[in-house]
Amino acid sequence: MKKIIPQYCSIADNRRLDADGRYFRLKVADFKPVRPVYPGQFVHIKVADAYDPFFRRAFSIADYDPATRRLEIIYKVVGKGTSTLAIRRKGDSLDVLGPLGNRFSAASKTKTVALVAGGIGFPPLIYLAKALLSRGFSGDQLLFFYGGRTKTDLIELRRIRALGVHVFPCTDDGSYGFKGFVTEAVMQRLADANPKGVYIYGCGPEPMLATLQESAMRRGYAGELSLEAPMPCGVGVCLGCIKPTLDNPRKYVRVCYDGPVFKLGEVKL
Amino acid sequence: MKPDLRVDIAGVTFKNPVLTASGTFGYGEEFADLIDLDALGGIVTKSITLHERPGHPPPRTCETAAGMLNAIGLANVGIERFIDEKIPFLKTLDTVIIVNVAGSTIGEYVEVCRRLEKAGHVDMIELNVSCPNVDEGGMEFGTDEASLIRIMTAVREVTTRPIIAKLSPNVTSIVAMARAAKEGGASAVSLINTLVGMAVNVHDWRPSLSNTTGGLSGPAIKPVAVAMVYKVARAVDIPIIGIGGITTPADAVEFHLVGARAIQIGTANFIDPDAGMKIIAGLRQYLAERRLGSIHDIIGKVKTSS
Repeated sequence: MKKIIPQYCSIADNRRLDADGRYFRLKVADFKPVRPVYPGQFVHIKVADAYDPFFRRAFSIADYDPATRRLEIIYKVVGKGTSTLAIRRKGDSLDVLGPLGNRFSAASKTKTVALVAGGIGFPPLIYLAKALLSRGFSGDQLLFFYGGRTKTDLIELRRIRALGVHVFPCTDDGSYGFKGFVTEAVMQRLADANPKGVYIYGCGPEPMLATLQESAMRRGYAGELSLEAPMPCGVGVCLGCIKPTLDNPRKYVRVCYDGPVFKLGEVKL
Repeated sequence: MKPDLRVDIAGVTFKNPVLTASGTFGYGEEFADLIDLDALGGIVTKSITLHERPGHPPPRTCETAAGMLNAIGLANVGIERFIDEKIPFLKTLDTVIIVNVAGSTIGEYVEVCRRLEKAGHVDMIELNVSCPNVDEGGMEFGTDEASLIRIMTAVREVTTRPIIAKLSPNVTSIVAMARAAKEGGASAVSLINTLVGMAVNVHDWRPSLSNTTGGLSGPAIKPVAVAMVYKVARAVDIPIIGIGGITTPADAVEFHLVGARAIQIGTANFIDPDAGMKIIAGLRQYLAERRLGSIHDIIGKVKTSS
């Protein structure tokens, strides 16, 4: 079996998506993974060939096209790693390790699927929605809840709409779409649905996922949550990115290796 | 001619001097998808204790300038599950298997080593007497000469395997600790373990680790490690395995020059799972370029004026 080793890929594009320069889209050319790439997996990127920032940074995969070998990542500049990545230019070479981690499992085709994205949690759900559509899900079955603090956070709204799924934009301040948390929109929209016919996929900030977990479990929905954590190694050995489990808070799972996708009720958030 | 990278420590032959450091390589199996494990000189497992340990709550790691802090808290499956679940994989590998052992009492260290002796398929034992992140035991045994001699002697009685004492840099005299390890029956010493460190989040004023302090590792500590290997090599007649921030082939060469017979790759495994492979190839190239036939041609050959 071929080994997953770091590859140097060239940056095809790395451009900001909003006026404030908070969100960026990175496209990497010639990414030749030795295993198939699935929605929910991540790549571990060395943002600069330097000892500072020291660790790689994990980014969820927004899209990968095996034919063109183009990998797409959408990120928000939040700290040293992402601000270093943001100044990398087209043509630079970038050290990429992956794909790593597990993946979203495919919901049964009889279900109403709610994709619940908060903040910068939307990229893997775009990739997942595409995959579900290509597996024969109809656009009517897929409800994409896309939440942000304010209108300018919904940077990929047009693209998500173009997928042909039902899109429910939400903003905390009511500047666009539903006024309130994305989790409230989900619960309102699904209130009349048969809980057994609902499947949830969630990705976003941890407080949002905690709310989603609690309200979805109370309704009896099944589903999966994709988590984020600072990951020193990304391959399951350093035991740095652990989370306690809901059943036993002294038992830990590794976000990078046992996840990043977990069953709805698996992890204590 | 291909330079000869083989080294021998306490009768155990390593195909090359590049090993992986405890706590940075899991139980080996985690890296099976990432590198050819048989190409390594040896694998040092995560610390094994008598009972399974969940480890500290998060956050357990923190990035620092050219390094990291960790306080994992010796999370491991315990000796019973290690023997049942991890040794079957390790014994399929064509590389030297070194099991790192930790405990909170001398009795625990002894019991783990006794069971390893019975289980077989283990080439050497590395005694972790230098973990800075647990309240009891660990570093206490590695910072007091009398305690170190006591624990080495006790473990020596229950195993026929060569024992490597992994030494802490958090001591007044690393040379005194290396001497004590030898007196207690250690066949080799490995150094250094992590340096005690701390970081504080300036936004919420909390320590960056749940354990408050942790162990500093990575390129940031390399000069400290090189100096300690150098001092021990000059003062104590015992094989040394050098550890501390080794990331590139040149780093490995530096450790060999000051007297390390073998080296361990630690934190670099997190950044580049392929680091060990690159260092093996780089060492070979370094020797070939200088028309040196063997790794022994550089071990301890630092040119100091004193």
